[in-house]
Amino acid sequence: MMLSTTGSTAPPDSPLLDEVRSTSAATEPRRPRTRVAVRFGGLAALVAVLALMPSTLSATSLLNVQSAIGLALFACATNLLVGYGGLVSFGQAAFYGIGAYTIALMWLHWQTSFWVGFIAAPVVGAAAALLVGLVALRTRRLYFALLTLAFSQLFYVIVLQQTGFTGGANGVFGAILPSFLVDPNHAYYFTLAVAVLALLALWKITRSPFGMTLRAIRENRERAEALGVNVFAHQLMAFVLAGLFCALAGTLFVVHDQSANPDLLAWTESGIPIFMSVIGGMYLFLGPALGALIYEQGRDVVLASFSDWQLAFGVMLLVIVLFAPQGVLGLLAGGRDAVWRRWRTLRR
Amino acid sequence: MQRSRIGISLAALAAIVLVAGCGSTSSSSSGGSGGGSGGGSDPTVNIGVASTLSGVFGAYGQAGLNGIKLAANQLNASGGLLGKKVRVVTGDDQIDPATGETVTRNMILNDKVVALFGSVSSAVASAQETLSAQYRVPMFFHIANDAVLTHGSSRSYAFEFSPNTDMEPAASALAFAREIGKAPVRIATITPNYNFGLDTVKTFLADLKKDGVSYTVTNQQTPALGATSYTSNLAAILSSNPQYVFVGEYGSDLITLTKQGSGLRLFKKAKVGAMYDYDVLNALGAQAPAGAIAWDRAPFWTVNTPAMQSFVSQYKAAYGTYPNEFAIIGYTAMQGWEQAVRQSKSFDTAKVVAALSGATVPTIRGDITIRSCDHQAEVPEATGVVASTPSSQYGVRLWTNAYTAPPSQVIEPCS
Amino acid sequence: MTLDNDIITFLSAMTEASSLFVAAAGLTLVFGAMRIINLAHGSFYMYGAFLVTAIVGAAGGGRFWLALALAPLAVAGIGTVVELTVLRRVYRRDHLVQLVVTYALFLILADLALRFWGTQARSVAPPSLLSGSVSIGSSSFPVYDLFAIGAAVVVGLALWVLLQHTALGWRIRAAVEDPEMLATSGTNVPLLSTTVLAIGALLAGLAGALASPLQSISPGLDASIIVQAFIVAVIGGLGSVTGAAIGAVIISLFDTAGVLWAHSWEPAFIYLAMIVVLALRPWGLLGAPER
Repeated sequence: MMLSTTGSTAPPDSPLLDEVRSTSAATEPRRPRTRVAVRFGGLAALVAVLALMPSTLSATSLLNVQSAIGLALFACATNLLVGYGGLVSFGQAAFYGIGAYTIALMWLHWQTSFWVGFIAAPVVGAAAALLVGLVALRTRRLYFALLTLAFSQLFYVIVLQQTGFTGGANGVFGAILPSFLVDPNHAYYFTLAVAVLALLALWKITRSPFGMTLRAIRENRERAEALGVNVFAHQLMAFVLAGLFCALAGTLFVVHDQSANPDLLAWTESGIPIFMSVIGGMYLFLGPALGALIYEQGRDVVLASFSDWQLAFGVMLLVIVLFAPQGVLGLLAGGRDAVWRRWRTLRR
Repeated sequence: MQRSRIGISLAALAAIVLVAGCGSTSSSSSGGSGGGSGGGSDPTVNIGVASTLSGVFGAYGQAGLNGIKLAANQLNASGGLLGKKVRVVTGDDQIDPATGETVTRNMILNDKVVALFGSVSSAVASAQETLSAQYRVPMFFHIANDAVLTHGSSRSYAFEFSPNTDMEPAASALAFAREIGKAPVRIATITPNYNFGLDTVKTFLADLKKDGVSYTVTNQQTPALGATSYTSNLAAILSSNPQYVFVGEYGSDLITLTKQGSGLRLFKKAKVGAMYDYDVLNALGAQAPAGAIAWDRAPFWTVNTPAMQSFVSQYKAAYGTYPNEFAIIGYTAMQGWEQAVRQSKSFDTAKVVAALSGATVPTIRGDITIRSCDHQAEVPEATGVVASTPSSQYGVRLWTNAYTAPPSQVIEPCS
Repeated sequence: MTLDNDIITFLSAMTEASSLFVAAAGLTLVFGAMRIINLAHGSFYMYGAFLVTAIVGAAGGGRFWLALALAPLAVAGIGTVVELTVLRRVYRRDHLVQLVVTYALFLILADLALRFWGTQARSVAPPSLLSGSVSIGSSSFPVYDLFAIGAAVVVGLALWVLLQHTALGWRIRAAVEDPEMLATSGTNVPLLSTTVLAIGALLAGLAGALASPLQSISPGLDASIIVQAFIVAVIGGLGSVTGAAIGAVIISLFDTAGVLWAHSWEPAFIYLAMIVVLALRPWGLLGAPER
């Protein structure tokens, strides 16, 4: 799905600007270091605040934040495809669900320990993504979106129907978690640690030459092809990586809910990380994470306060999307464009 | 650029702190304690109904909620329970287990509910049951009826007031067996493609054999739950020439299936059996299939006691419609809870559970005993035949030849 | 299987196809002309069905034909309002943003439907003229289903006439195939957008109204139809009404194949159909690469 490059929807960090930035950095050795220091300082503060949550929040709020963190990983992993790759996949729930079910079914049938399942889940997710990607990436844009939706629904129907193996609609319940993770604080810290490390890895990927190429492909596929880039290989790699991290997010679901159910694989679940990206802002790395938090808390508040939750939710979505075109984070970082433009004119 | 990065991080930080702050203050308890009896100046006690209130299954959750609210209102009108007013807290789980878990947990921890009434879906109900065991809150199931709920490891605080997925097909098998007799017959089945549907057919066929019926299965169809077109499935079934057809679909799906089946003359060519309850028969009106075998967990028109009739008229006055089985079962669950609370003179979970386990409760359906081994209510399942003319009293084609299979005939022995 | 059974099976597949076609035609037209993914299309379908039950109920069980005429028009009105107030603002935006906006509309319309019509499932009987069945050998087939198939054919022909032989149709085709030409021809584009969406909503409402005697009408109808309509529209190629017709037939034949030969896997067959078709023709059968 080609995202328009004209008008207000232009992504701020186009590869062209990035090229310029990196060459300008070569002539200013000090800038990158301060920039990095400030950037990591801010984020470290953020992580520190999150780490303090268990001592400040009630049990239900802590679980909410934990859930939001897991969903933030799900959303950011999806955004690797959607925001960075320009590949709107409506089937990421398949890998999310596969991650959760890998742990759950290994426990159910072979009494495998959670930790083994936790390692296996991203691998299974990546493998499934490879298979799906090989077929799905032959299509483009909306057709790609709907084909990934079809795959997601196919997995959903299979899980639902194979009640003997998967437990069917009832899902898998039980003492899946090791005793260490049953403690709510441990579970929270584990979720936070996994999410932070995974997001760091994703961040590195987006900043790597691979990530740059991915964005170049999103901007102008034909041009990238003309420059000799193997578009299919890059997109497939992105798809596999997204599948891997989405499966990892699925394991965090199991930590939170101690269960797996088929709804995790349905297309409605696939829509959730996409919403979060749109609400939070899909052109900034942490945008989907903020979207996850807003969505999770917002949904909780809406469900608790309104019996007409659909109406309230619909109106809020409309308001956000109509008045914050770049998502909430984009709105906040909207100053960035002005700053960058000012910087560029000063530099000349 | 470094400025905007700070901006982003700080904004996110601020958002999280703000939101976390909101979260921790919303855990206010609104009266009523989970433990302790009476005492205190709080005049209300909360009970939670975490069910499906929107979408296709919203009708069931809403009906159950109506039955529960009616009971609560009646309690409050006569002075409350142990001197406290009963307040019903509701939540919509949107038929999703994760949402159901969040909604239920919020009710337990934030609203401090002393009793929970569960979901429409057995998948959500399983999640709720785990929570009820974790936080020790009595849990009542009045709609979800998968037998796994009374077999699992978390059932200590949960009670099932509906006939479960072992009992219901046993009753329908009995109804079929009475019609079929001893001659060998050809049977086809159609059922929704998920646990409830698949288990129901399996149990039905097994029970039919136990009832001494010899049959061959000519065709089996498993369309998706919520499918909108059954014509191809039914055509395939009819082409296999069955004499009897077991239908596992219910509610909205059964209405669609019946309409489409009528056009194929399904009900003239074979004897069909399905869950033709009040809502389905009311919606179908003149299209209701006269002569079809029917079953229902609690059809009000087959219980001619003053208690039931008084309930029916009160329900009609309050909600403008006659109660379906979920409203009735929800009400009887409340009756069970009320008795347990009164007997133990407390809302404390351990006492309430002990008082109800093994007890016999007089309800609008008659006396109901709650088995102590698995907390399954020994309830009947009613069967009958769809009438060809509308009932003079209710204006809807109800049943003839009603037979209420007593619990002893349908319930599985304690394992 | 006997010949009668084959015919019945084929006809039942065609009934399903006709329902899917009318539902998908509006969706594909709107996308083709306006490049907007309208999730609220399913809501329009549901409103068409509910309005029929409301009109028939108010008339004490009769007046089906009146309901069939009025309900789609009412839904077209709702669609126009939606277009003027909300959709207009998102034409230039990302597809994803449009998706979220129409999803928000879907939620709002679903909630309003719950308020108007409650949670209970409803049923409408076919009109007396079309009730009953025809005998085909030893089997029977409902008369109304034959009517539904015929109605879908009529709708298809009407759309063909509209698109090929009217000025409006020319403009719509220009919007689908060559927007630049449209802009330079002096067409009032906003008016065209509103008209196209109104037509799309009308078709959705008509699909819902035509299907109302065939199924139960309850909340949740919006969600179930939108997925099916999308699958059909995508397989056929977005923007192509002919494609939607072919897609509808393919989907229903696949589904029937599942019913006959792999009944426990039948619900998966429509997704398999989509995967197979798109793997072979990535732009849908009659679709073109998006500009």
